[in-house]
Amino acid sequence: METRPATGLIGAPAKRVEDQRLLTGRGRYVADLVLPGMLHAAFLRSPHAHARILGIDTTAARASAGVVAVVTGDDLRDHARPIRALSRMAGYAATDMPALASRKVRFAGEAVAAVVGESRYAAEDGLDRITVDYEPLEPVIDPRAAMAEGSPLLHDDTRTNVLLSREFSQGDVAAFAGSAVVVGDRFRFHRHAAVAIENRACLADYEPGTGALTLWTSTQVPGMIREALAELLGIPAHRVRVVAPDVGGGFGMKSALYPEEVAVSALARRLGRPVKWVGDRREDLLTSTQAWDEDVEAELGVNADGGIRALRAKVWADIGAYSVYPWTASIEVIQVVSFLPGPYRVPHYHGQAWGVATNKAPMGPYRGVGRPVSTFVMEALLDRAARHLGMDPAAIRLANLIRPHELPYRSPSGLVWDSGSFAESLERACEVVDYARLRAEQRRDVSARRRTGIGIASYVELTGVGSAIPASPGADIATGTEGATVRVDPAGTVTAAFGLACHGQGHETTLAQVVAQELGVELDAVRVIHGDTDAGPIGTGTYASRSAVIGGGAAILASWAVREKALRIAAHRLEADVRDLELSGGVAWVRGAPDRRLTLSQIARSAYAGAKRLPKGMEPGLEATRFYDPYIGTAANATHIAAVEVDLDLCAVALARYVVVEDCGRLINPMIVEGQAIGGVAQGLGAALLEEVVYGQGGQPLTGSLIDYLIPTAAEMPRVEVIHLERPSPSTLGGFKGVGEGGTIGAPAAIANAVADALAPLGIEITELPITPERLFRLLAARAEAPPSCT
Amino acid sequence: MKPAPFDYLAPESLDAALEALARHGGDAKLLAGGQSLIPVMNFRLAQPAVLIDLNRLRELDQIRADDDGGLRIGAMTRQRTLERDPRIAERAPLLHEAVPFIAHPQIRNRGTLGGSLAHADPAAELPAVAVALRARLRLRRAGGERWVEARDFFAGLLTTALEPDEILVEVALPPPAPRSGWAFLEVARRHGDYAQVGLAAGVSLDDAGRCREARLVYLSVGDRPVEAREAARLLEGTTPSDETVAAAADKASQDEMDPTGDIHASADFKRHLARVLTKRVLRRAFARAKGEA
Amino acid sequence: MTAHRVRVTVNERVYEREIEPRLLLSDFLRHELGLTGTHVGCEHGVCGACTVLVDGLAARSCLMLAVQANGAELVTVEGLMKDGQLHPLQQAFHEHHGLQCGFCTPGMLLTALDLLRTNPRPTEVEIRQGLSAVLCRCTGYQGIVKAVEAAAVALRSSR
Repeated sequence: METRPATGLIGAPAKRVEDQRLLTGRGRYVADLVLPGMLHAAFLRSPHAHARILGIDTTAARASAGVVAVVTGDDLRDHARPIRALSRMAGYAATDMPALASRKVRFAGEAVAAVVGESRYAAEDGLDRITVDYEPLEPVIDPRAAMAEGSPLLHDDTRTNVLLSREFSQGDVAAFAGSAVVVGDRFRFHRHAAVAIENRACLADYEPGTGALTLWTSTQVPGMIREALAELLGIPAHRVRVVAPDVGGGFGMKSALYPEEVAVSALARRLGRPVKWVGDRREDLLTSTQAWDEDVEAELGVNADGGIRALRAKVWADIGAYSVYPWTASIEVIQVVSFLPGPYRVPHYHGQAWGVATNKAPMGPYRGVGRPVSTFVMEALLDRAARHLGMDPAAIRLANLIRPHELPYRSPSGLVWDSGSFAESLERACEVVDYARLRAEQRRDVSARRRTGIGIASYVELTGVGSAIPASPGADIATGTEGATVRVDPAGTVTAAFGLACHGQGHETTLAQVVAQELGVELDAVRVIHGDTDAGPIGTGTYASRSAVIGGGAAILASWAVREKALRIAAHRLEADVRDLELSGGVAWVRGAPDRRLTLSQIARSAYAGAKRLPKGMEPGLEATRFYDPYIGTAANATHIAAVEVDLDLCAVALARYVVVEDCGRLINPMIVEGQAIGGVAQGLGAALLEEVVYGQGGQPLTGSLIDYLIPTAAEMPRVEVIHLERPSPSTLGGFKGVGEGGTIGAPAAIANAVADALAPLGIEITELPITPERLFRLLAARAEAPPSCT
Repeated sequence: MKPAPFDYLAPESLDAALEALARHGGDAKLLAGGQSLIPVMNFRLAQPAVLIDLNRLRELDQIRADDDGGLRIGAMTRQRTLERDPRIAERAPLLHEAVPFIAHPQIRNRGTLGGSLAHADPAAELPAVAVALRARLRLRRAGGERWVEARDFFAGLLTTALEPDEILVEVALPPPAPRSGWAFLEVARRHGDYAQVGLAAGVSLDDAGRCREARLVYLSVGDRPVEAREAARLLEGTTPSDETVAAAADKASQDEMDPTGDIHASADFKRHLARVLTKRVLRRAFARAKGEA
Repeated sequence: MTAHRVRVTVNERVYEREIEPRLLLSDFLRHELGLTGTHVGCEHGVCGACTVLVDGLAARSCLMLAVQANGAELVTVEGLMKDGQLHPLQQAFHEHHGLQCGFCTPGMLLTALDLLRTNPRPTEVEIRQGLSAVLCRCTGYQGIVKAVEAAAVALRSSR
């Protein structure tokens, strides 16, 4: 690899180029787009969790004012094949998810008919006039019960509700026998909703003349949606364009293909007019993919010195009604078992996982995927072991964290940690919070009704995963590469096009920083475009903490190629040796003779002028497309420390202090990294204390509004201190590691451990998240020695 | 989530509004601040044929200080005004203390006193405060009016004494008793959320420092504001102490409410919170009555 | 259901339209006037994304009918910039990374504007409570709180 003096753009807290339009109301989200002749779709959604559809009467709806079309699942069946997520994983069963349910509904909220009208108001009027004859079926609610012989089935063709089972094993768990202490429990991490503030939305336009479909959709993965739509709708892929314009948050939830995207596309083709659907919040809370919802039985055996001997776990995941495309039903639960050992030395490990279908909204990837759960369980077990041994929680972690000399380290589930600052991040976090003083204060402050607690969580995650393994193991998709096209125009300005899509991460800024530095131009000379399958190279999108690593790597490679060509052209024009040239700030010059210079614009004009101005045999033009595959990817890690105060009377938890020490490798933009970390902590805090998707006994959703489903507001968030440990990745071009998900991985565990620490003197352990006031009340009430007396 | 169609009337006078209501009766809904009604209409859980908008009735948006020290507050007075008007702070400090607990500033900028009372959500602050303050409510119909005590106004979940042709136009608050104290507190999952339990309390002391009268009115523990009179009786005639307060808290939370659990709080937890709040609220109220806070 | 004529002033410009009475103010701004900066996130008055100023006070535009705004003066996010210059709040959001996806931002800005007009020297707790009316899922609010603190200083010194 060549080296060159850094111009300091990578690593600078550059202000975002996205901000101007978003701050002035000039962003363009799907709901903002208007096409001539555009119609509006609304979906009729099942009130039943599990029912047979005996008949649908759409007569009155068709006659409703402003209604243009009404379609049911039977109407659409010949126009769009059902979504089916395939996987090579043994023990996996795929499901068919139709664009509109026909014959059977499998969760409350599933769409059974669509009304297309002149406005959303008219379309909803049409919904009111559809009658559906349902025959309710016994709902499948509890995944462990659903595994039993004789349970009602969601999908007849799978012949079981267990859509997935998997086992990991290393060493011999007979090693438990020699443990000084074995701790274990059953842990519950409840169902969570992503709640992007922009609801899902899409707008389809079909051009009958060319047979071309354009879908604007609020998605993280336009490339994946394009491929899938082409296949499901039978349209040649080169005639399908998918655009993710400004997207109002995704968090993994917008990385699946949704039935509405298929239905709206099919409707636009059928009606010959653009059709827009803007999901509302109720639709979002009922139908967007949900997260986590795992039931874990885990045990940890440790030696007297705290050293881990063995770990075992069984994980049951409630994956809801369908296996989502492209990630499959395995995405979440496999990550729980494969990441459970965390950044620790675990010589003996056995993990088993089941993904079980139930009559609930489909489970999909969500920020952190599996690791918030695995980290919660592992960190809880370590704290318990420490309490049993009379060790400090920090000390037991330091005794087990993998040290730099042990890297690369192959985890017992087969993951490889290429690098990491595991112990360093913990030590630094302890230093920043002044851990010793916090502990001393805690011992002093034992006033009966308000307890303080300190919780630590260390984790490692795999980011920027290359082609060695798909981001979702087994899934039939390529997630290991991304491309970048870097083009210099005759004016000397630079356009960098990516297959990535951005939904708040600031790629237009960070990728411009990378291109500007690696190419040698000013930051404002670079424009990044993304999220449009017509505009960038083939790619999938943004998910799995990959864009800085893979997109950044592709940006570096393409920038180098353009730079090299620009220098060769400049050398030719300046009659100099290319090795004597410098290029930065958009100007190339001969080292030691700064008057002999050419601007990038002059170079580009030569490039496009053709053979006359170019070195013999050089192809005209000044652009390059390069793809990058980091192969294995790279590990990112962090330690979170939370200090909480628990009010035993109100059964309420408040955060007093929150520290994150994170290592995402070489920083592209520390301001943006900090924003990602804190935003992730907020979602983790929600998971720890507030957020829970609740279904009733019959499978009816009880959290269908933001009055019932509670995400953190500014008032619940503490000030978060973020420290960057910048340890460049040895494995990735640029040294970058991914950072998008990390905050959410560490926070639930750190907060849960802090609460458990506060309540440990009362003999209370935390096994269930979120720790709601109701749950705390029940835990406290169950303690005879600590009746809920109050002041 | 868009409302179903309706006819919209925006009368410019109370008489015109009453006449419109008389004409449409049960088919009509009155639109005050709209902060509860419009979301319900957006969900299409309410589909009135006619909406009569009261927002142009300036005559209902005023506060009058009575000579006897009481207040007359127009039903269309915004919650923001209740929060800021110095007459409220002076003459109805309990109301002044409770209003900031209502949702968020945007909601209070639109939401009205009368709208909240007439909506009769048992989780709302203002109905409980109205009962605790012994408010009297003036209900008008075309060609007549009547006064109803707040405690008689709330008839059940989202149900009031209002007849289909009546409009709540004014709320009269009596002057505070001498040596009186008050406090309002509620517990919510997040800042601004509906309360899991709340308590509006007023106490007054006699010359010997004994509790002359106590009023404890809870929100979110029943189908309407729930007043704990037995608990109040335990306090009345005694010198306030930790023991009397604890006894009142036990009485109120165990015997005088029948909360229904929801996804955020079981009935038992609500009782527990009610007990905790009772102690905290009474301590503050008595301290204020004694001039200590 | 008859159409109603409304006349509103939005960002100092007068608009007149014939509309259905059920049209929400948020939809009126977005679809009738093309002012799509006002975002819709829940339509039940919780997320705050649709917050605008109505006669100077913050209100959720999804909880108002457009007909109710007849004769009112509205300010939306499009009206914050003056003479091509970002409003001090917008500038502070830019400088303190107070936005990521940008979807809550318009509601956040107008809520913050109302907050700072009502309380020009808010404490951090007052800012956090004041902004709790608007949900942001990206930032964890820290950049927003810092931005509002900075804007409070800037607005005080510009008075």
